[in-house]
Amino acid sequence: MENMQPFMQLYLTGEENYESGDIIIEEGSRGNWIYIVLKGQVKVTKRTKLGTVTLNTLKQGAVFGEMALFGKLLDGRSASVIAADGPVTVGVLDFDLLRRDYESLSPRLRLLIDTVIMRLKETNEKIAAFVLAANRKGPGEK
Amino acid sequence: MADVRQEEFPAVTLTYEKGDLIIKEGDYGISVYKINRGRVLIYAERHGKNVPIATLGPDEIFGEIAFFNKGGEKRSASARALEQTELEAWHPAMLSKEYQEMPPALNYVVRQLVIRLLRMNRLLVQLTEQEEKRRKALEKSDPFVSRRRFYRKPVDLECYYRPVGLQAKSRLSGRIRNISLNGLGMEIAVQNTANVSHVVGDSFVIKTVLPSGKDLDLEAKIVSLKQSETPSRLLLGLSISRLSEETKKVLGFFLLP
Repeated sequence: MENMQPFMQLYLTGEENYESGDIIIEEGSRGNWIYIVLKGQVKVTKRTKLGTVTLNTLKQGAVFGEMALFGKLLDGRSASVIAADGPVTVGVLDFDLLRRDYESLSPRLRLLIDTVIMRLKETNEKIAAFVLAANRKGPGEK
Repeated sequence: MADVRQEEFPAVTLTYEKGDLIIKEGDYGISVYKINRGRVLIYAERHGKNVPIATLGPDEIFGEIAFFNKGGEKRSASARALEQTELEAWHPAMLSKEYQEMPPALNYVVRQLVIRLLRMNRLLVQLTEQEEKRRKALEKSDPFVSRRRFYRKPVDLECYYRPVGLQAKSRLSGRIRNISLNGLGMEIAVQNTANVSHVVGDSFVIKTVLPSGKDLDLEAKIVSLKQSETPSRLLLGLSISRLSEETKKVLGFFLLP
């Protein structure tokens, strides 16, 4: 990614390449790598009984896996991230450096950031439940 | 609170009565609020109707999106007090300064999160609206659903349920919120839907015990599904599809005024 912000370049510890359909992060697994999309697109998906719900598609410059960074330890990854649409290159960001930055913030600012993460997780859960409901037609519907 | 940094941030305490508007969608403002006491409904206004997004309680924060998204950004949702509520308003100037001066890489990551949250919130509001329309259409077409308007007794009964045809070991729990001879309203945790299908048309065997000590055992199918005011909970509207004569008597007796 030629136009990557120089301050992000400093946090880059490596690059990984994936093919379409490769799993980059698996829902429920443990891990605290944080990634940035350098080339291609990735899909954020959540498992349900009726199949997999795609929550979002992320493009170049988007960061994912960042929920591991904030607040208390999470019970594993909350969604899967899968390479979509051709070859994908992701950059691996320095977790320890970002975590140190986060811990240097005041308690109130940290609480604000934690709130954003919590809201995003709740919203994703609700969306997955709705998508599930909409995927089957009710009685009386054509 | 002996933390020195906390003391640098003066907080103002505000009190709202039930029904008071705290934040109006579309207004400008970057104050952040922490709830000390009470409950607050966060909702979006779409086509003249309020679409609920979340209900928040003590120690929870709201107003954070406009704070992170500032630079002329408007409030993305409204907030209203559901009961007498005491809030702590954090003046944004000091927090803003800290946010701007935080390491740029972390700032970039947080900004991404906020953009994603905004996008997902918009999607959720759309989906909630669609579900509401679906339910309305269904009510018109299904006489079973229309009859739902009949008297229902508000209750709070713990119950167990499982999909019709599956083994008893796939037992889930919920709370019956209201019940009539035709149907019932049941509140469940969103996570119940992770492994068991909960969509309009699905049937469940439901078991509970009435306050009288009598067992209630019936079959009902989902006719509506919406978010509860309690976070991470769903409200199922069910119409009763199988009720033995014996159970009908027990329920009928229970429903007597």
